[in-house]
Amino acid sequence: MKTLRQRLVPYGLLAPGLIWLILFFVVPMYFMGELSLKTGSLESGYQLTWATENYTDAISNYSTQFGRAFYYAGVATILSLLIGYPLAYAIAFKGGRWKNLMLFAVIAPFFTTYLIRTIAWKTILDDASPVVSVLKTLHLVAPDGRVLATSGAVIAGLTYNFLPFMVLPLYASLERLDQRFIEASKDLYASATQTFIRVTLPLTMPGIVAGVLLCFIPASGDYVNSTFLGGTNQAMIGNVIQSKYLVVNDYPEAAALSFTLMAIILVALLLYIKFAGTEALMGEEEEAT
Amino acid sequence: MKLLLLAALALVASMALVACGGGGGISEGTNNDNVTTAEGGDPAGNLTISNWPLYIDGKTIDNFDKETGATTKYTEDVNDNNEFFGKVQPLLSQGESGGRDIVVVTDWMAEKMYKLGFVQNLDKKKIATVEKNLIPSLQSPTFDPERNYSVPWQSGMTGLVVRKDLAPDVTSINDLFDPKYKGKVTMLSEMRDTVPLVMAADGIDPKEATTQQWLDAIDKLKENVDNGQIRRFTGNDFVQDLAKGDVVAAIGWSGDAVQAQADNEDITYVQPEQGCSIWSDNMMIPVGAPNAEAAYEFMNYVYEPEVQAKITEYVNYVSPVSGVKEILQKSDPSIADNELIFPSSEFTKNCFAQVSPPGNEADVKEVEQAFQDVVTG
Repeated sequence: MKTLRQRLVPYGLLAPGLIWLILFFVVPMYFMGELSLKTGSLESGYQLTWATENYTDAISNYSTQFGRAFYYAGVATILSLLIGYPLAYAIAFKGGRWKNLMLFAVIAPFFTTYLIRTIAWKTILDDASPVVSVLKTLHLVAPDGRVLATSGAVIAGLTYNFLPFMVLPLYASLERLDQRFIEASKDLYASATQTFIRVTLPLTMPGIVAGVLLCFIPASGDYVNSTFLGGTNQAMIGNVIQSKYLVVNDYPEAAALSFTLMAIILVALLLYIKFAGTEALMGEEEEAT
Repeated sequence: MKLLLLAALALVASMALVACGGGGGISEGTNNDNVTTAEGGDPAGNLTISNWPLYIDGKTIDNFDKETGATTKYTEDVNDNNEFFGKVQPLLSQGESGGRDIVVVTDWMAEKMYKLGFVQNLDKKKIATVEKNLIPSLQSPTFDPERNYSVPWQSGMTGLVVRKDLAPDVTSINDLFDPKYKGKVTMLSEMRDTVPLVMAADGIDPKEATTQQWLDAIDKLKENVDNGQIRRFTGNDFVQDLAKGDVVAAIGWSGDAVQAQADNEDITYVQPEQGCSIWSDNMMIPVGAPNAEAAYEFMNYVYEPEVQAKITEYVNYVSPVSGVKEILQKSDPSIADNELIFPSSEFTKNCFAQVSPPGNEADVKEVEQAFQDVVTG
């Protein structure tokens, strides 16, 4: 009797998460999958016709917006990494007693809603703003040019909004880095650069991988930044899905687009993890054993 | 392995559950063959209204409740006609209104909902104040010539909103395509606001326009998107871009122009040479509305000129109620004399009632999709 109970305990522990996942992920996914193969209209109802053309249409008609979404998200992720790594490094190693305050500063913007933060960038980047005039003086923006309603503004917004998702996992992995490895590296006459590239960077790979995933996945599906900071011809695939669902009320096509987006992200992730990830993600565990 | 089995079982069970339960999210369409007249309920009971944001002053609802004993739940959950339709369609097609007694949508959506059988006829005997005070110009719109099911909430014009200090010579929609304003103009992301004005500017009568002419106008927009002429497609936020001077001229709504002008007097509404588009948002009683009596009571209440004057003072759109101008003449002459709030027939002589693309559902969708492809290009 006791053994049976013992055997049931893990299932009991899993149950809340499992039920949650089934109700709010698996079931909606099933309906969305079914919807994506239907034809019809909101007014006359949808019939399941196994309309795979929803998928081919999604890809052929909106490849530009797909490409743009991954391009913007990719650039924003790389920028976040370039900004976030030194930042996390500084907080972890040079922060001293200010460490917690600095970490708080990274998260503080999250106390304001996402929308407000994004709309605030409209003022930061408006045509007459000091930021833009500095960029014009530096010849980074043409004298009659603008920043708002360009790709640059959308990427800047994405970078800003997803930066904390990069900094936090990086910080966590840097913080846990065993200082003795770095000392050992120096004892073996490695230069600071060599130590960084051959010791610090590989040991913080799990943080980088996690940060990249947390940035890239939500950024590629985002539509808020493009709506407010972008202009025409800057729509990301999220904007197309939003307009298909809420403006045109073409649910099957919207569902097909969502699935295609998920599939592309999934494939990209698998490749990425195969290439850069597994070892790094598992690295910690191997180390522990 | 066992875990996998368990998960699979749970999945099958939950699907079966959903399939027989609330699976009817999107169901067969209905029609208005047997449209009913709204009745029943208690004028002093609960009343639920769905309206657009910032579309009423702060006191009217409280006063209404005090005078009638009703308990009104006023929600601002209509942000966009299509979006709202998508939200309520599954309920309405089952004959349910989600507790709503009054919904407020724009003319073309009002017509669409009526044709689908989602809206009830009004018992005209019960809205005597509305009948008495509705201004003549709104008494017989083409979509509801006898106002059998719709009562205007507020009305307005779509035209040009410009910074007169930065773009003083903009008088026609075609001036928005002038290269000297490249990247400094915006248009509305509502197709029925933007496209008919673009057609009218090229001498096409929007009421008579064919699907092809709609598509041609959309092509013209596409060109001007691709060459960078049009900066963005906007909702009400065109006002902020104008206030900052990032945008010098826009297609926009008259009411927003009045409100923006209060903060920045360089922002002005300009009646396009070829005319403006006139629209209304309409109160309607949806099918399944629990308290039609209170809904009638409310319609009558806001058609009292004294009550309406307060709303007009706040929202600055064109009021559908006669007698309001006279009241405001005494209390707030600047509003009473504003052509955008009380337009003269001279001011709107070239204007047309807002139009939808012609043809059947598929034709309309083709045009709608073409326009969306420009907006999300």
